[in-house]
Amino acid sequence: MFLLGGVFALLVRTELFSPIPLITPLFAGSDAGAQADLYNQWFTTHGAIMVFLVIIPGVPAALGNFVLPLLLGAKDVAFPRLNLGSFYLWVSGAAFFVYVLFSGGVDTGWTFYTPYSTSSPTAVIPAVVGVFILGFSSIFTGLNFIVTIHKMRPKGMTWFNMPLFLWATYSTAVIQVLATPVLGITLLLLILERTLGIGIFDPQNGGDPVLYQHFFWFYSHPAVYIMIIPAMGVISEIIAVHSHKRIFGYRYIAYSSVAIAIFSFIVWGHHMFTSGQSTMMNIIFSGITFSVGIPSAIKVFNWIATMYKGSINLNTSMLYGIAFIFLFTIGGLTGLFLGVLSIDTHLHDTYFVVAHFHYVMMGSALIAFVGGLHHWWPKMTGRMFNEFWGRIACMLVFIGFNLTFIPQFVMGSLGMPRRYYTYEDKFQIYHQLSTIGSYVMAAGFFLTAFYLIQSLVSGKKAPMNPWGGNSLEWHTPSPPPLENFHGVPSATDPYELDQFDYDPVTGNYSSQSSKGLA
Amino acid sequence: MMHFLTSSFQSLATQTGPSFWLPESVSNFAPTVDGDFYFVYWVSIFFLVLITALLIIFMWKFSAPEGQKATSQNDHNLILEIAWTGIPVILSLMMFWYGYKGYVAMATPPSNAMVITAEAAKWSWNFSYPASGTVVSGASEDFNEIRNALRTGDLTAEQAAEREAKVLEKAGLHVPVNTPVQVNVLAADVLHSLFIPAFRVKKDCVPGRIGQLWFEATEPGVYSLYCSEYCGQGHSAMHSKVVVHPSQEDFDKWLAVAASYDEALPFPELGEIVWKRKGCVSCHSLDGANKTGPTWKGLFGSERKYTENGTLGSAIADESYIEESIRYPMKKISDGYTGQMPVVKLTDKEILWVTEFIKSLR
Ligand code: HEC
Ligand SMILES: [Cu+2]
Ligand SMILES: [Cu+2]
Repeated sequence: MFLLGGVFALLVRTELFSPIPLITPLFAGSDAGAQADLYNQWFTTHGAIMVFLVIIPGVPAALGNFVLPLLLGAKDVAFPRLNLGSFYLWVSGAAFFVYVLFSGGVDTGWTFYTPYSTSSPTAVIPAVVGVFILGFSSIFTGLNFIVTIHKMRPKGMTWFNMPLFLWATYSTAVIQVLATPVLGITLLLLILERTLGIGIFDPQNGGDPVLYQHFFWFYSHPAVYIMIIPAMGVISEIIAVHSHKRIFGYRYIAYSSVAIAIFSFIVWGHHMFTSGQSTMMNIIFSGITFSVGIPSAIKVFNWIATMYKGSINLNTSMLYGIAFIFLFTIGGLTGLFLGVLSIDTHLHDTYFVVAHFHYVMMGSALIAFVGGLHHWWPKMTGRMFNEFWGRIACMLVFIGFNLTFIPQFVMGSLGMPRRYYTYEDKFQIYHQLSTIGSYVMAAGFFLTAFYLIQSLVSGKKAPMNPWGGNSLEWHTPSPPPLENFHGVPSATDPYELDQFDYDPVTGNYSSQSSKGLA
Repeated sequence: MMHFLTSSFQSLATQTGPSFWLPESVSNFAPTVDGDFYFVYWVSIFFLVLITALLIIFMWKFSAPEGQKATSQNDHNLILEIAWTGIPVILSLMMFWYGYKGYVAMATPPSNAMVITAEAAKWSWNFSYPASGTVVSGASEDFNEIRNALRTGDLTAEQAAEREAKVLEKAGLHVPVNTPVQVNVLAADVLHSLFIPAFRVKKDCVPGRIGQLWFEATEPGVYSLYCSEYCGQGHSAMHSKVVVHPSQEDFDKWLAVAASYDEALPFPELGEIVWKRKGCVSCHSLDGANKTGPTWKGLFGSERKYTENGTLGSAIADESYIEESIRYPMKKISDGYTGQMPVVKLTDKEILWVTEFIKSLR
């Protein structure tokens, strides 16, 4: 699915290399309208797949389902069947998207704004049904995690010696459970609007399009945090373990996850500063929006402080961790521009916003996912991967990413609106840089796929603890046995990382005190 | 202190031409918005440089081979935590405050402002000047044509500029310089958004609502105007121009010319002007190609099949059928199309001319 979403991204970027039709004529023929329609379907498909099928389930479901029970020393999550169910739902959601692709696509943008989405002749309903189903998948995962963290912590693990990844997934799960139903209802209403014309969003029948935006962002703003909070959790683990140093400011990081989760519910209106909502509402939402920035800043500084006087291995996972801090800093700082009412009036719906949310959703959430994948890869597969190519790929992704999106900040603030199929010539140079960047990034991801597959086939056997971590997953063989642990583990201090000795022959870190394993 | 900061950041932004980050700065709001922009910008640069420098120094100084122990396991420092919570809090409060002040000014048009209505429809703009009852189009279609011809080399830069000036004689959003102008924004079908980068203003056009924005242009010239809310196929083609006239007299003169039809022309030709001015052009072709709406070629006198209130019907496209189709587009939906035709208010004369124009397209 990431591949599919990525292919659409590359199609979009390639088309935008030039302001005149470039590759859409190859698929859509010579009719200018059909070409523009096709472009609109591409960016919609890219956005919808990446948001709903890749990033929202990415860290929590894909990594979380494997790592969460291990971090808790548990056999599995609390409700394995619910978990399986949520996977099947994901597959059926994905199936709907594939169906949409073959039934003429959808062209509403991933936001499904009314009344365009109620009048567009494309396959809106199947797409919306797909998202609806994926919503349930997300809710099930969230429920499962909440119960698992409450009920299945091992002996001796209090809330405040849980690995920070668990704090993050817990905060995320709360959002998933509370916010996703709102999306579900909104999408149901959208379907009813389209089929029966019930008149809740469509002004022709007495509805209000701005109401749709309130409903939509009430979910979709917190959804940004469904993507980013678990990513932050991953980074907390990566930075501490690969610096071989206690995480700095544990409680601040933990509380800031909770704080972000709570604030995330009351800032949705900042997506609507130019929508015509009242001045008062804009002022309130702008004010609250800044409150989300603070906990994020706290995290960044604590991660950096963790590195101070550490013993840093600049391996692939750590490079992704550091890349994350840099990219997330840019993502966060550019968010400040958009939170300031006067500036947002200018920047809203331009490429500045596009670049900003790619820094947050891709540069941060997805990079953390890839970093986490490398961090836990030996544990999951029992194989090491090639560090050399890993670092090269990470550099390619990092450079490509910045080359893709920094020019987008510039053209956005110069006034280039988003979702444009053609544009004024003065923006072309930025588009070209951006397109080249996207190819570099794609090369990085392909390289990653290659060496990871190679690792599966012929990678070195991974030891129990290749990085010197002390959370429970590093106290069981790689890959873990069927029941995850031999025996019942009791809690360790996940950030007590200086007790290990490295064995250059096996590549394993073993602890002299072998503390914490029953 | 605050005042000093804003004014010094504003002075950074007092140039009117485009800079690396921002487009021309030619409205009463632009200096404030730019000042706010550069304030946030420099704060951001400061933190980005700080964080990047720390990352690089730490990567370089503390990187160590596998197995080496960290030289410290210190994991808290209250002073630091307070500092990096407190400083961002103060800075964000300042940002909020600037943004709030700038925005409130933008949100309250003065009562003496000249009022213009901008109506967005798929995929064209219409600007009406209620004081004189004149409606002119955004001429997106013309601007696109000129742009394409320029790219293919069919027009030289001078010819293109000439054509553009010609189009602007009867189209575009025109305002006098140094005069407060309030633009009421409407949408006929789906969401659109009126965006004038050089003025730093933007407002969504929401069907069923009247939005408003205002500005005072400070520099005569021609500036870009975009639709910035996604609205489908022609979204990126839905651009037009803002013309800032050097004086009120100049503006009045323009308005008088724009308002007039050259009624000496034959009706079909007047109809063609309406077709362009009123945006019918974006959905109805003259060459037999069906776009969002049916082509006008051969339409007149042909038999039309349609759905009305859920029942099928058919009729010959005569004068009254065409008039009804224009006045009540949602009433009869022709087979093979969806109800995407907006209500465009035409005068009786304009409808007559359009009908004659369609008649001529046998
Ligand atoms: C957004 C696209 C759009 C625009 C702009 C538009 N139309 Fe249409 N028009 C349609 C569609 C779609 C139909 C067919 C559906 C229907 O009958 O309503 C149609 C149908 C018609 C018909 C009836 C043709 C038939 O086959 O029944 C007439 C006459 C017409 N339009 C005139 C106009 C005029 C005059 C204008 C400009 C003032 C205009 N249209 C602007 C989309 C558009
Ligand atoms: Cu539009
Ligand atoms: Cu648009």
